[in-house]
Order: sequence, then C-alpha cells, then structure tokens
Amino acid sequence: MSGLYLLIVVVVYFAITAFFGWLGYKQTNNAEDYLVAGRKQHPVVMALSYGSTFISTAAIIGFGGAAAVYGMGLMWLTGLNIFVGIFLAFVFFGKRTRKIGLNLNAHTFPELLGKRFDSKFIQTAAGLLIFIGMPIYAGSVLIGGSQFMSQYLGLDYGAALLIFTVITAVYVIFGGLKGVMYTDAFQGALMLVGMGLLLYFAYSAIGAGVTGAHQKLTDMGSLVPQAFKVQGHQGWTSMPVAGSKMWLEMITQLALGVGVGVLAQPQLIVRFMTVKSGREINRAVPIGGIFIFMMVGVAYTVGSLSNVYFLNNPEYKTISIEAAKMEAAKKEGKLYIPPAAPAETKPAAAPAAKITPAALPGAKQPPAAPQKSIKPRGAITDNIIPLFITKAMPAWFIPIFLVTLLAAAMSTLSSQFHTMGTAIGRDVYEQGLGGKGNTVLITRTGMTVSILISLFIAYSLPFFFDQGSAIIAIGTALFFGICATAFTPMYFSALFWKRATKQGAISGFIAGLSVCLFWLFFVQVKEAKPIGLCKLIFGVDSLAGNSNLQYLDQMIISLPVSIIVTIIVSLLTKAPAQEHIDKCFNGVEKA
Amino acid sequence: MFGFGDLGVWSAYAFTIFSVLICILYGILKWNETDEDTKETGK
Repeated sequence: MSGLYLLIVVVVYFAITAFFGWLGYKQTNNAEDYLVAGRKQHPVVMALSYGSTFISTAAIIGFGGAAAVYGMGLMWLTGLNIFVGIFLAFVFFGKRTRKIGLNLNAHTFPELLGKRFDSKFIQTAAGLLIFIGMPIYAGSVLIGGSQFMSQYLGLDYGAALLIFTVITAVYVIFGGLKGVMYTDAFQGALMLVGMGLLLYFAYSAIGAGVTGAHQKLTDMGSLVPQAFKVQGHQGWTSMPVAGSKMWLEMITQLALGVGVGVLAQPQLIVRFMTVKSGREINRAVPIGGIFIFMMVGVAYTVGSLSNVYFLNNPEYKTISIEAAKMEAAKKEGKLYIPPAAPAETKPAAAPAAKITPAALPGAKQPPAAPQKSIKPRGAITDNIIPLFITKAMPAWFIPIFLVTLLAAAMSTLSSQFHTMGTAIGRDVYEQGLGGKGNTVLITRTGMTVSILISLFIAYSLPFFFDQGSAIIAIGTALFFGICATAFTPMYFSALFWKRATKQGAISGFIAGLSVCLFWLFFVQVKEAKPIGLCKLIFGVDSLAGNSNLQYLDQMIISLPVSIIVTIIVSLLTKAPAQEHIDKCFNGVEKA
Repeated sequence: MFGFGDLGVWSAYAFTIFSVLICILYGILKWNETDEDTKETGK
C-alpha cells in the first residue's frame, strides 16, 4: 500500500468532514439549531446519523474479531440490534419521544425526562450521570481511534490522539448538532460503501460462493481449539452448548447488553427530536435497518469467515486467532507455531497448552512494564480483522477501509462530545443549577470541559491499565449497562405510562443504578476483575466465585429491579396532575 | 441450510433478515403517512 495514496485518502476524508462541519456551523442560528438541529432534519440524514453514532470502530474491529472466535452465533446480536435498536426504537419510542419532546420544548434527553416528570432533580441527575459516565465511553472510543491512526499512519499515539480529538472537537463545538449530523451522514455513507465492499471481497477471497464459504467454515468444526471446546464452542457455524460459559457470554452480555441496551442511549434518543414529524421517522426506519445490517452483520460474517481464509492461506494454514498470534510474534521477531497445522489436524490430539487463556476474548493480558510512549496494544482478537484486511483485500481498498473505520470512530465520538456538552451545560448548569447566559455559549463551554476530560482519560488510561483495547470493551459495556439500567424504565414510563410518578422514576433510577454498579464492580467478572475493587476489598475477582453467575450480564438483574421499584413506588404515590399529562401527551396517540 | 452447522445460527440469520425486512416494509407502508406536525409545515 502506497503511503502517499493512504495520505491522500485520509486528507480528502478529513477535508470533506470539515466541509460538512462548516455547513452545520453556517446553518446554526439559535439554541434549537445547536441542540436539536433545528428539528427539521431529513430522514436520510437522521437515519445515517443514528446508525453511524450507534456503530463505532469497536463494533467492526472488536466484535468482528470476537466473531472470528465465537462464530456466527453472534448474528443474534445483529438481529437484536436491528429489531430492538432500530424497529422498536424508531416506531414505538422515536415517534413518542419526538412528539413529547416538542410538546415540552425539550432539547436534550435529560430535559425530556425532567420535564415529563416535572423534576429538576431528574434532569440534573441524568445530566450528571451522562457527564460522569460518558467520558469513559468517549475515552474508550478515542483510544481505539487514536491507536488505529497511530498504527496505520505511523504517528506517535499522543500526536494521533491530539489530531483525532481536535478535528472532531472543532466541528462539534462550532457546528453543534447540525454539524454533527451532517458529518455523521457523510461518514455513515462512507461506512456503507466500505462494509459493502468488504463483504464482497471476503466471499471473493474464499472463492466458493456464499453457501460454499459457510460450508467450508462448518467443515472446520473439528479445528476448534480444546480451550474453546471446554467453554462450549461447537464450531463457527453452530451455537455454543446451551448454558456453557461461551453461551452465557454470547447471549447475555453481548446480545442483551448491547442489543437491548441501545434503547436508552442519550446520544441516540436526541436524534428523534431532530425531525419535524412522525413521517420522517417512518422513512428513516428502512434506512436504519439496512445500515445496521451492513455494519454489524457484515462484521460478524466476515470475522467468522476469516477462519476459512487463514486456513487456506499458505502463509498461515490455521484459524484466525492463531494467525493473529503468528503475526504478533513475527512483529516481535519471534516464531509462533500454531497448535494444529491443517495437514496433521487431529483435534483431539491438538496440544491445548499452546492456547493460553490470554487469547480468549476479554481475558487479562500478561502484565507488562509501564511504557512512556504508548504503542498500539490490544487483545489479540482485535488484530484479526486488520490482518484479514491487509492480507485478503485488494491494495486499493485498504485505505478506503481505513477511513471507513476512522469514520465509524469519529461519528460516534462527535455525538458523545455533543451529548456530554449538553448534559453539563444545558441540563446541569443552566437548568439544574439555574445558571444564566447564552445557551449555545454555555453548551460550548460544557463541551470543551467534557472533551478535555475524555482526552485526559484517553491519554492516561493506557498508562495505568495494560488491557489495551480491552478498555474499549469495558468502557463501552459500562456505559451501555448503566444507561440501560438507569434510564430504560424511566424513559419507557415517561413515554407509555401516564400513571408513572416523579417519585417512582427517581426511586427506579437510584435502585437500578445501585444494583448495576454493584454487579459490575463485584460480580460480573469481565468488568469486576480489571476494575479490581472486589479483589481489593474481598480478595477475590468476583463474589460469584467460580459459578456461571460471574458471566451473567448485570442488566439481567438490575433492569428488573429498576422496573419493579419504578412500578411499586409510582403506584404508592400520588398520580401526576391531569393537566400536565394532557400537555405531555397532546397529539401523541396520533403520532 | 446455506451451509450453516446448526439451526441456532440459521435462525440468527433468519431473524436478522426478518428484522431488516420488517424495517423496509414498515417504511414503505408508512412512507406518506402524515401527522399534525407534517401538516403544519404544509409539506
């Protein structure tokens, strides 16, 4: 791949992104433009913006790599993302969100909740939770994007981080939500092209057609390493054994945590308030559905199929994760011999000792000495998709795919910056604390503060954790989990249950959040172990011990608690005033 | 079975495609459905 060609593609990409950011800036005249994009966005822009915000680089690289290990069973997550994250979210939540938001003149998600329950506390608490929780998620996306830029453009990590942050920050701070949505739409279109080509080239590289490629992957079932088999792996085109560790991880953590968790994401919900009527949301539904299918569905399919490619590639002759390990060893000048070469493949005799627990997704990597200059590091599974792209794709496509991944990171990040800024500026300072001043200026100040915090986290986290991009997965899981638990019952009852009271919403919020944090810090081993608080206090990685409970997603426990508390406390407290309910739901039934 | 190893993965793909089709069908059927806010703008 020519360095000049790559540079040209990246510069052109940044130039077009800057143009759309500038367009947003030129079209922003008031607070409504800045906070909710004037409430007159085109459905295509809205759908692409929603989708590209939804899908970050982690979903393509991280989950694509996970699919190379787990297999195609992860497609359940794609189905859930489309059915829950697009269809249910747009049709049942989106239209009501838009209408109630308009009725109450809400400009942010916390403001919608606060005004619906007539509670400044709810708006302030929700804004604070976003301001505190989202920088970890934004920092995670920043780390991913910067490591990626650093790796492929040959930049120092710090320089890549600074460039990445500054470019995104400029168009968010000046362009507001219009700038964010215009650039999102461009980036989303680019992602569609990139992932479409990736799917085509992946099947072409295997050269057996669609069904033939799947069959070849099915035929590789005997090559599943012993270490995966004991966790329930039955092959890349089969589901893991029901109830096994791998099954629990796949179904509960991924499918429920990320699939259902998308319903209450503040940065996504605000997009429903950017269109002028329910008709635009109707028109956005098919675009959103196809977009998510082309992102997540393609990543999982290609990730799984990469096993066939690497097995048939004379350079590797092994499964994807082993190929990634061979490549990593090669870069360190070492030789890594995969446990089972295909010519002598006898799965039962495959020496499992070669596969270490560190190779498994989410597993802790061996500790390393602290580094002064941060180099791209990460779980070995994160190297699978980049390696596949480098080896299997035509040279001209590689830079295109690189900017596709940059676009995925920037579109998610820009929305996070905007949401954090509005949370601390609009929701906490202006509405919660009664601060006076120009709304746009206050929000811009809030954004700047949030961006600096995210930048600090992204710069400093890799110094303290030798988890590489596992931080990305943890940060994302933490934020999605917290939002799903703390906001879902409150958001749902705000839209659908007129009897829900302020007290019920607040109690459910606090109860859900408490259980969620307890489970994440002390039970769910994937998060509890790297966080380390459980080990510090109780001397164990998880209070669940060795039981499968340690793999159970927090949402399975905390969400029902939050729902039950919301219902019980609402029924025990005085119903909201009919006049307020009429104002909130005016025209909603027809929306 | 499109080359898949078991019904679980086949169902995952079927569910995914079903979800996409529902989105497309809904969008087409409701493409011109208006509400009071659509009418207010006169478009």
